[in-house]
Amino acid sequence: MLEIAIMVAAIAIGSGIALVSGGLVGIGEGFVAGKAVEAMARQPEMEDSIRTTMLVGQAVSESGAIYSLAVVLLLIFTVLQPLVARFLELL
Amino acid sequence: MEPSILFHIGSFPVYQPVFWTWVIMAFLAISSFILTRNLQKTPKGVQHFLEVGIEWVETLIAHDVGPARKIFVPLILMTALYVGVANMIGVIPGAYSPTEDLTTTLTLSLMIYVLGHIAGIAKKGFGKWLKGFIEPTFLMLPLNLAGEVSEFVSHSFRLYGNIFGGGILLGILYMMAPYVLPVPLMAWFGIIMGIIQTAVFTLLASIYIQNKLT
Repeated sequence: MLEIAIMVAAIAIGSGIALVSGGLVGIGEGFVAGKAVEAMARQPEMEDSIRTTMLVGQAVSESGAIYSLAVVLLLIFTVLQPLVARFLELL
Repeated sequence: MEPSILFHIGSFPVYQPVFWTWVIMAFLAISSFILTRNLQKTPKGVQHFLEVGIEWVETLIAHDVGPARKIFVPLILMTALYVGVANMIGVIPGAYSPTEDLTTTLTLSLMIYVLGHIAGIAKKGFGKWLKGFIEPTFLMLPLNLAGEVSEFVSHSFRLYGNIFGGGILLGILYMMAPYVLPVPLMAWFGIIMGIIQTAVFTLLASIYIQNKLT
């Protein structure tokens, strides 16, 4: 009973901590967008290729946050939900 | 996580992503047939828009795929159309984005991965393709193999994570405020994020194919 409660709490806390990577990726992507705006202001004729490069770079650097999102989804949907169901059964 | 079963054909269960993939396939096939029914040498009416769109995509892809573009333009254009419609169909109430399910995105990225490798073998020859795994030294083999796996995994998880995460956020918002309030967020997650993720998926697909050709 208590063990299950501790596991549920640990999974919830761990999911929250894993989502910190989202914030960090946000900082990085904002930095990329700002630099892209600077580059566009300097060379407006290169706008298309700068935008493409910016989007691809952001998408690649987003992988970290996507991996952590996948981990969180796995934790919540495949570990947490059966645990909660078991907990409710015991109640 | 697991999508629900809509109905059975014989003993085969038809899951929601499969059904909505069929709906999108029918939509794309019928609209392509209607839009390209009587094409002429001198464009007229809606044909202008089609030609401008296809030329734009061709220049976008030619930049990445390089000289082999003639073969890959239909593949990448079709991927873009399918992923775009699949991302945006989630806006319709009751509809289900097939890209909200990992099987769809993993299938798409594996298809592009395998086709890229086949094109690489065809262009460089088997020995040189195999040698590409031990570049620059033999010690890099484990890292190269890990890179190969992470390539299609991250390619599929990126699309899936974005669409599924948006879907979860919308679902939570529906529970809290069912009327009016979700509309701007629906426009953001359904349409704008859908277009951006389509562009990213397509661009990354063409870049991955190009990397395997050189």
